[in-house]
Amino acid sequence: MFRKGMLVIGAILFLGLLGAAKEQIVVNSYMSDPAPREAFAQLVTMFEEQFPNYDVVVNTFPHEDFKTLLRTWLPAPEGPDVLTWFAGERMQYFAAQGLLEPLDDVFADGGFSALFPEAFRTVCTYGDHFYFVPQSWYWWGVWYRKSIFEELGLTPPITWAQFLDTCERLKDAGYAPITIGTKYLWTAAGWFDYLDLRVNGLDFHMDLMAGKVPYTDPRVRKVFEYWRQLVDKGYFLDNHSAYSWQEGASFLFNKEAAMYLMGQFIMDVAPAEVKDDIGFFRFPIIDGTVGVYEETPLDGFMMPANAKNKEGAKVFLRFIAGQESQQFFAEYLGRLAANRHVPPPDPMAREGLDMILASDGVAQFYDRDTNPEMATEGMERFVEFMMFPDRLDSILEELEATRARIFGQ
Amino acid sequence: MRTKWWVPYAFLALPLLAYSVWVIKPIVETFIISFTNWDGISKTFEFTGWENFKFLFQDHAFHIALLNNVKWLLGFTAVAVPIGLALAMLFNRQGVLANVCKSLIYLPMTLAFVVRAQMWSWILEPRHGVLNTFLSAIGLGALARPWLADPTLVTYALIAVALWGQIAYAMVLFLAGMKHVPLELVEAASVDGATAWQRFWYVILPMLRPAMVIAITISIIDSLRAFDIVYVMTRGGPFGSSNVLANYMYIQAFHNYRMGRGAAIAVIQFVITFSMISFYLRWVMREERGRGS
Repeated sequence: MFRKGMLVIGAILFLGLLGAAKEQIVVNSYMSDPAPREAFAQLVTMFEEQFPNYDVVVNTFPHEDFKTLLRTWLPAPEGPDVLTWFAGERMQYFAAQGLLEPLDDVFADGGFSALFPEAFRTVCTYGDHFYFVPQSWYWWGVWYRKSIFEELGLTPPITWAQFLDTCERLKDAGYAPITIGTKYLWTAAGWFDYLDLRVNGLDFHMDLMAGKVPYTDPRVRKVFEYWRQLVDKGYFLDNHSAYSWQEGASFLFNKEAAMYLMGQFIMDVAPAEVKDDIGFFRFPIIDGTVGVYEETPLDGFMMPANAKNKEGAKVFLRFIAGQESQQFFAEYLGRLAANRHVPPPDPMAREGLDMILASDGVAQFYDRDTNPEMATEGMERFVEFMMFPDRLDSILEELEATRARIFGQ
Repeated sequence: MRTKWWVPYAFLALPLLAYSVWVIKPIVETFIISFTNWDGISKTFEFTGWENFKFLFQDHAFHIALLNNVKWLLGFTAVAVPIGLALAMLFNRQGVLANVCKSLIYLPMTLAFVVRAQMWSWILEPRHGVLNTFLSAIGLGALARPWLADPTLVTYALIAVALWGQIAYAMVLFLAGMKHVPLELVEAASVDGATAWQRFWYVILPMLRPAMVIAITISIIDSLRAFDIVYVMTRGGPFGSSNVLANYMYIQAFHNYRMGRGAAIAVIQFVITFSMISFYLRWVMREERGRGS
């Protein structure tokens, strides 16, 4: 009896030591959609096989809630070791507050240039330090049902006039020309961004994001006037403010709608039988004299300053930045890896990459480029405009009042 | 055996301590934060005096939230309480049918708020939701609306969803209260020739006073702190039309990184709720004293 008891205690101690021998790395992730979540889980397994002395704990949170939970983790005395997040202003906001750990070690000896395109440098740094490890990026485009286009003898429009004509033909045939789900607001910002980039160009757009241009500027009004052409003719899905973006996408998948301005991650939620029938084209050109700019939000990882296991986190981040893991993740999801040595995983990604390489410049996205409070106000006003275009004057005034308050005059 | 004077305090000490740490202290801290410009993240902040309150005073979105809370308040007190009372009167009897009905009515209360909200989001979905397809099926398609997408309808739709549970809550409160209505009094009244309505109004209702007070107090509090239904179903949308104080506070504090302003909204919510409850309870107690009971 005594011997059995000792055996049990010994086993427990041994197992305990075994567990204690592994260092823990805690990763909080917003990858709640099934496909990226699975991809990341497999990535973590790959890491643990290569570095058996680490035990990676992944906490996954619903994507939208992660954005609000993040602000409770960062100022806490102790937080997770690694966080998924977005490059650009959204990350720089925290870096400016000293809430992020500089990652210069991860990119020691010119590591960043060796791994990533120079174009990503500005959105991964703040001041003189790196704070962000990019993992993947995706392009935005107008996604469409090839079969609907074939049925009506349509080809992807290149100019704005052709786009309007396409919408009209789709509407006549009984389809909702453009689907969108604006319940969580940011999908409307996609339209604003693209119209602004097409009408006014990248420099103006970034100045607007930085709060240097008033929203009552006639150039901003011009953007809304083009938008209005679509709203007035009823080209957008009815009652879009009741739908999340995924619910909006379901209308594309069940062929009630024909087009959706969205990021490549729409393919994450597309049903398998529909995937081959979906293609994309570049957002139509409005003004031939303005450069062609696109949105390429960059996703990746960062380390909070209050991380418990900073050395372990850096090992993990180096692994994430490496070609092997970047290639795996990109291939699994059809995204583009930030690492410049990874070829595009499939023909569609090749198409997307070519489209971006042929562009004159890129932005991140409205709610990643501008101040968070301005972003919320902006996006609410955009949805209001889509539902009540006649309120344009008061909308622009409210936007301007918010901008003046936030960015100072 | 006489209890020592300190015994009640000894029993109270521990709960009072927990209450002070986890309820009183955060309330005080919220009051303090409302006078700052803290963003909820930085390690430093400044005291800005009444800035946050001045901003809210002229903020369009805040006015909408306040107005919506008034609608919620009216919905809960003027609709949920009377209907709950009527249902309680109806089902205050023995019998299998009555029990089945009571259970069915009470069922929503067993579901978490978030579950109710998600369910109703699907039911009220404009194109394929159960409500609109049902209306079309019985020939009332003209009544089908985009319940959650129409700014003029959305708050009422949300209140209706909340009432679905709140009516059951009121019913249960009144059913419990009715157990204390002495049957002899009611019978005596009917012997004296009182009609059903007179029995209800002059005998039963006054005896239900304690339950009524609780029902109304809870309705005021619940309507002013409504959050789950709004946040899950519309996030306060479309573009802020269905905003309520609690939801607006959450967005300001956690989406916009304006903790100071969020705290100010919380303070205002506290002041409103507290004043309403104090007025109401004081009025009730004056009535009680007036009747010499």
